Amino acid sequence: MNHQSPGALPRHNAITEWFAGVGRTTYITLEHAGGLGILFGQIVVAIVSLKVSIRSVLNQMYIMGIQSLPIVLVTGSLAGIVTSQQGGYQMTSAVPDYVLGSLVVETVVLEMGPVLTALVLVGRIGARITAELGTMVVSEQIDAFKSLGRDPVAILAAPRVIAGVLVLPLLVGIADLIGILAGVQAANITVGLGQESFYFGARLFWHSWDLTYSATKAIVFGLSIPLISVHMGLKTKGGAEGVGLTTTQAVMFMTLTILILDAMFPPLLLN
Amino acid sequence: MIEYRNIHKAFDLPVLTGVDMRVETGEMFALFGPSGTGKSVLLKTTIGLVLPDMGEVEVDGISVYRGGRGAVEAVRQKVGYVFQHSALFDSLHVFDNVAMGIPEDVLARMPRNETAVKVWEALELVNLEPREILSKIPSELSGGMKKRVGIARAIIGRPEVLLWDEPTTGLDPINTAAVERLIEQLSTELQVTSLLVTHDVEGGLMICDRVAMLDSGTIRFCGTPDEFRACPDPVVQAFVDRAAAEAALDMVSESYD
Repeated sequence: MNHQSPGALPRHNAITEWFAGVGRTTYITLEHAGGLGILFGQIVVAIVSLKVSIRSVLNQMYIMGIQSLPIVLVTGSLAGIVTSQQGGYQMTSAVPDYVLGSLVVETVVLEMGPVLTALVLVGRIGARITAELGTMVVSEQIDAFKSLGRDPVAILAAPRVIAGVLVLPLLVGIADLIGILAGVQAANITVGLGQESFYFGARLFWHSWDLTYSATKAIVFGLSIPLISVHMGLKTKGGAEGVGLTTTQAVMFMTLTILILDAMFPPLLLN
Repeated sequence: MIEYRNIHKAFDLPVLTGVDMRVETGEMFALFGPSGTGKSVLLKTTIGLVLPDMGEVEVDGISVYRGGRGAVEAVRQKVGYVFQHSALFDSLHVFDNVAMGIPEDVLARMPRNETAVKVWEALELVNLEPREILSKIPSELSGGMKKRVGIARAIIGRPEVLLWDEPTTGLDPINTAAVERLIEQLSTELQVTSLLVTHDVEGGLMICDRVAMLDSGTIRFCGTPDEFRACPDPVVQAFVDRAAAEAALDMVSESYD
């Protein structure tokens, strides 16, 4: 016997659930994209109208740059060492050893340096910004800024985004350099490739565009990480649980964004 | 004067469903109501911290939602807001927290020593010893001190209207009484219009000229404290009885502590 009333909605099945899921995901994606666009516009307005404190920018640059230096140095050097070791392992007698120099330098500069540095900053800086701003939202500090006629975007968001754009290229440059130097040493130890041969190979296939490519990636990642983390932080709802949830979501969101942007770079800038 | 006209606001569920309320210039007005009835939401609509779905708020003739960004900024300059949990900026010292209450453009032109004098005066007005706390950060202050610093920040810009969002929540009875005396004293000394959202019914009835009760999204009662006590409405009576019982319970548990 059917107990369903004539006017009732049909029962959900797998197909409607799937469409509902797609709809929800699309809605959330568009909502975040819109929110990020609005936030970016507000940051540009704050910068143009000279509302951003240089002291705050320098403070954020110190937190993002100087304090991140140790982990960036470790990550960069390990990237160089691992690339060198695995490249050396795959070399056969048909390929001259000096090609390893090119392999290490190109891999570190084009890929490992920018991406690993960005991913390290997602965990170290992005999560911190989201948690910090999220806590300010739930403890009404953001409302307090507004009630006192202050613009939270100019005070909190803009300095972090400016610092990210300025600092990440420098950190990536350092990671690239340290990665190459570590790669040279690792090549010497693992396959006995001398420095001169390494650099000869590196120069042979080097394009000056590679450096621009690496710096462009760094600038885009340096903009994305603070922008997403600030956006997520300011959207926090609820109490401590809300801050935890938003921070986790922000880390996922930033990581995916970095990887997707990274996949978009070669077709856009290397062809 | 603050006037709320037909304010509607829903989050997942409707919270405010047509609130009409008027607070006269110079008046001390208390808004009561059970938890979750939207008292703080209504307070936040006054300065655009929460946008109503429908309705209008006017502060001293300035329409908050029809005048654009300029109107909201003008209203925020007139209003001092005391937050429920103080909302002090936890990375700033007490000095900078209180100085934040001075309008940005005025603060930018003000010599540092003049700012220091104003901060000092504001802290003294709320019965705090400036020398002892100016260089402390909020995490080094007690709950009662945080509330007072929050009040000092709200009054330093000499607002014409003060909005108090449950200023005694989380305080023991002694501190509650002290903060209530402070609210009364400041409202009189600064000659401001005060709108007080509170759970402390007895305290509100003692210090306010008029009171209102928010229930199920609308104003259930509005009148003088005496009219409120004598109100025959069973919902109002039940609320008054429950509030009195809770106050008595608080006193008993405090004496055990």
